[in-house]
Amino acid sequence: MPVAPLAVEARDLAKTFRSGWLRRRETAALRGASLRVPRGAIFGLLGPNGAGKTTLLSILATLLLPDSGSATILGHDVVRDAFAIRRRLNMASGNASFVWSLRPAEVLSFYGRLYGLHGRALRRRVGELLERFELLPHLKTEYNELSTGLKQRLALAKALLNDPEVLFLDEPTLGLDPDVSIRIRSQIGELRRERGTTIILTTHYMREAEELCDRIAFIKSGRILAEGSADELKRQIRIGDVVALRLDPAVPAGLAELPGVLSVQARGERVECTVDSSEKRLPDILKWLCDRGVLVRDCQVREPDLEEVFVELAR
Amino acid sequence: MPAESWAAEWVRLTAFAYRNLIMARRNVFFVFELTFWPGVAMLSHGLLTRFLDLTPEMTAFILVGTIALSAVQVCQLDVAYAVLFDIWSKSMKHQFLTPVRVHHLALGSWLVGVGRGVVVWALMALIGGRAFGFDFIGAGPLRVVLFLLGCFLTALVIGLLVCALVVLFGTRAETSAWAAVNFFVMLAGIYYPISVLPGWVQAISAAIPLTYFLDGIRAGYGFPPASAYPFATGFALSLLYVILAHWALAAAITRSRRTGLLLKLSE
Repeated sequence: MPVAPLAVEARDLAKTFRSGWLRRRETAALRGASLRVPRGAIFGLLGPNGAGKTTLLSILATLLLPDSGSATILGHDVVRDAFAIRRRLNMASGNASFVWSLRPAEVLSFYGRLYGLHGRALRRRVGELLERFELLPHLKTEYNELSTGLKQRLALAKALLNDPEVLFLDEPTLGLDPDVSIRIRSQIGELRRERGTTIILTTHYMREAEELCDRIAFIKSGRILAEGSADELKRQIRIGDVVALRLDPAVPAGLAELPGVLSVQARGERVECTVDSSEKRLPDILKWLCDRGVLVRDCQVREPDLEEVFVELAR
Repeated sequence: MPAESWAAEWVRLTAFAYRNLIMARRNVFFVFELTFWPGVAMLSHGLLTRFLDLTPEMTAFILVGTIALSAVQVCQLDVAYAVLFDIWSKSMKHQFLTPVRVHHLALGSWLVGVGRGVVVWALMALIGGRAFGFDFIGAGPLRVVLFLLGCFLTALVIGLLVCALVVLFGTRAETSAWAAVNFFVMLAGIYYPISVLPGWVQAISAAIPLTYFLDGIRAGYGFPPASAYPFATGFALSLLYVILAHWALAAAITRSRRTGLLLKLSE
């Protein structure tokens, strides 16, 4: 069987939810979203609340049927071949929930059986995952008594039961302590390195996306507004570089009127000038300040971070 | 299908049996379902037959209905639990993310339901026999086996319909898990022959398999059956309804994937 070069391909996916009396109230969650994810990539979906991230992920995970458009996972259509795909994908959500009275090993054994694992193979897989996610000390604890971090680790363990080729992670570090988040991020990275798993993750944490993802798509109001690597996105969005200056006297009048200066903001002792290109504008700014006898005590240039790109796009 | 796939099919089916068994073992609520309510039903109805000074045959007529209600109720609840556990814990999507099909969840949980139904029958037969002299195999062992199998098939149909309602309407339909069975057994002539029902209701009763299974076992206690082959008719109807109910649940799941309710019922 030929191997599909793309793990995930979505074309013009649209989904509208209908609710209320006679289902008259309509909410368009996706309005023609398209994306292509190569095998083995970690792909991030960023966007504000209600942007359509979870809807897109749910369609790709075969949990939701699209109104129009098409999508394939590992070459299989998500609508027609849902059962074939389900053997090869899995999903974990930030607010995962399992049957409350079950203990961690029982949760894994139940879902392991649904993936067709049994006997020694099932016991070995469950044991491996309990150990890997450090759940062994909690074998006697029922699910509803586990802490949020442990629940999250169990959700990730469940998501690896079938050794998925494609893994969907919906806000995997939502509400977790920083140390647990770091550990989970490292486990996500390991998965790709060790097994070549294709991972699509949604997150609100820009640092997480920047650290983990090869490519990122920004989604808003059901449309993908921009896509690329973190660096590409920063260049694409062109929100400018920031030149931070410590001056004496503090803020000279007229700085904002210089060519290429997009905005000037005073932050404590510093002045932050957002410019279209620091390479082009910094010499002019320094010369202008020097001509006016302003002393430049410190000067730092930084590119915008992903969070600023996100804020710009979400506007 | 290769041998390994058959094994995987069987394992998927037993997953639901595994979960139902753990839940049954761990929750005191399930012990009540299995012993308290059936015990109370058998004792109260048995005492009623004493008060009314009924003959052993009439006592059997009533108590067979009591057993039918409890066995069907317990068994169909197990089928409904395949979906209800996930509704209550908001974990519905995880099970439909796996390559599981309707027959896995229905038959797997039904197996446990059959086991629990047999326990209920044995307990009620024991109480009925000891306390009220009810001869629980008086109708003949074959009739008893066919009757119980008929009750469990009826439970499978009701359980599948309850699952379909819950998947379609969410928690609003949850009460149907307890209400549906009472409605069906009332129409099937649980404590009376269906001839006492109004004509148009009798037409509905004639379409319910349990009517024929009750008819079949009561024939063993000397009550002439309304149809020539009550068990054959009951099984034929059951088979038809199992297929229809299976289709209804599959259609409900597809609709739930379309409307997004499957996701709303999760997390």
